[in-house]
Amino acid sequence: MTDIQAEVAGPALTKKAAERSKMTREGFTISPWLYLAPALILLMIWTYIPLAETFRLSFYQWNMLPTSPQRFVGLLNYQRLLALPEMRNALWNTLCYTIGLFPMSVIIPLFVAIWTQDLGGRARTIYRSMIFVPMIIAPVVAAVLWRWLLNEDQGLVTLALDSLGLGRVGFLTDPLYALPTLTWITGWKLIGFSTLLFSAANAGINPSYIEAARIDGASRWRIICDIRLPLLSPTILLLSMMTVLFGAQWSFAYINVLTNGGPLKSTTNIFYLLWEYGFQTLSAGWSSAAGMIAFAGFAVLAAMCMWLTKRFAFYDN
Amino acid sequence: MTTDALDDHRPSRSAPTRGFGRKFGVHAVMVVLSFVSIFPIYWMIVTSLRPENETFSTALWPSHPTFDNYLFVLTRVPMLQMLFNTTLVSAATALLQVVTGMFAAYALVRWRMRLSSVVHGLIALSWLVPFQVTMIPNYVLASRIGLLDTLTGLVVPNAAHAFAILLLYHAMRAFPTEVLEAARMDGARSFRILWQIVTPNMGAPIASLSIIAFISAWNEYFWPLLLSRKPENSVVQIGLQMFMTQEGNLWGPLMAAAALASLPILLIYLVLQRHVIESFMKSGIR
Repeated sequence: MTDIQAEVAGPALTKKAAERSKMTREGFTISPWLYLAPALILLMIWTYIPLAETFRLSFYQWNMLPTSPQRFVGLLNYQRLLALPEMRNALWNTLCYTIGLFPMSVIIPLFVAIWTQDLGGRARTIYRSMIFVPMIIAPVVAAVLWRWLLNEDQGLVTLALDSLGLGRVGFLTDPLYALPTLTWITGWKLIGFSTLLFSAANAGINPSYIEAARIDGASRWRIICDIRLPLLSPTILLLSMMTVLFGAQWSFAYINVLTNGGPLKSTTNIFYLLWEYGFQTLSAGWSSAAGMIAFAGFAVLAAMCMWLTKRFAFYDN
Repeated sequence: MTTDALDDHRPSRSAPTRGFGRKFGVHAVMVVLSFVSIFPIYWMIVTSLRPENETFSTALWPSHPTFDNYLFVLTRVPMLQMLFNTTLVSAATALLQVVTGMFAAYALVRWRMRLSSVVHGLIALSWLVPFQVTMIPNYVLASRIGLLDTLTGLVVPNAAHAFAILLLYHAMRAFPTEVLEAARMDGARSFRILWQIVTPNMGAPIASLSIIAFISAWNEYFWPLLLSRKPENSVVQIGLQMFMTQEGNLWGPLMAAAALASLPILLIYLVLQRHVIESFMKSGIR
């Protein structure tokens, strides 16, 4: 598994893989390209050419009507965007979503996995199949479920809080709580999955290391810090990377279904802003410029994550 | 990393016998986590089965379970048609991802090309391009070639995916090169090698990929949101969202709609539980 995701991290890691695989050396042949054609053509048409087109559109003003002209405006879209408080607000919220997701996608699962490592047999299987369920639930369904549970009048969570004397909370209507609520729903889908991933990695640790450390008189806590955490570092880095790169995208569905970026723009993140500019205010130029800014930002983050993974992931070979 | 370790039911050798208190704590943590994961779904089903006058009841099971809410949904939104559409779209997407993925993976494994690493990088990097960044050109293209409001339009852009190619590539790389060589010596054409020798041995990864691709396509939301116009040409996620905007506070029917939209996936999960979990675990987040 780590293999696939390491590949996704970028082509830098792939060279080694290409050299390693044993293949026959041949002159130029057409056959491989025929096999590659369907996939490459589709990726070109639906990913790379559109990406280039977005880049081009980011220098134009256009209202997305096929009949209306596209007007070249140079860097104006970028200048305007960067001066907009909306944009800064969206970037700030994107950061909040990402950081808010960490406890649920990495930290809690990591400790639950270590804490529950001795769990065996039937119980483990039952827990495993239950905590995995949110992962396969559709985002729209998850949004609707939590909308009902957190409903301000009759939602079960509201009733429970009320009966505890904590009063009613506008989970989705109070600007203070809306973003944490959406972050929670995003994390709800991930928490069990991350726990399972950590459990698998943790159970894969060679027991003789732990044994050796115990004979040397290491405490449980020292064993966790000095042996388990370093050996879990590839999984920690992988899930952190996923959270950083995809966290904001995962929240998008909930923003769109539940809050439309409100109340008072408190839940708008960068991807929702792109959407709003593109399909609500119909300003393709702005949306494209914001898209390029987001893409560049995430590309830099991806490069940094890759560097971190190479630098710090500790593989037990 | 494999998931075998997860299924290893032997208690780990390193674990000394621990006190009752710790064991209780471990179960408490897992019960809480399981409860948080499963309760919202349980509550959806219970609410959907309550008669109208009991919608706001907090009883854990309705006193008179009824399917009225489901009937109500079916009269308001063409949910059955949408379920059919979604099944079709998801199956087609999964099938096409397997086919394009097998071809591409085979090309990368079987031939050493000067551009191999470039191609590989191009495929992997496409995963990092967010959908929202390319949506406007994609939408324009789809409308230009007449894919708006069609099921084909929902399938085609997802017919090849970096994830599918890479998953199959890794599985195929483990395939013994000697066998391929031998087949080539015997004069088998490359397509015959792929079809008769490689494919039959790729059952497990193909099954994993199909499961993940089907579920992801089923849960897909944005592209249908952009593309669909008429409800009867759309998918369940859109149906659910439409229902929510129209009848947002009819909680019973809304939960019934949500249950209908997730029922097929939950059924697949009930039947293939182990395979579903393992497919996702082996291949990471999608």
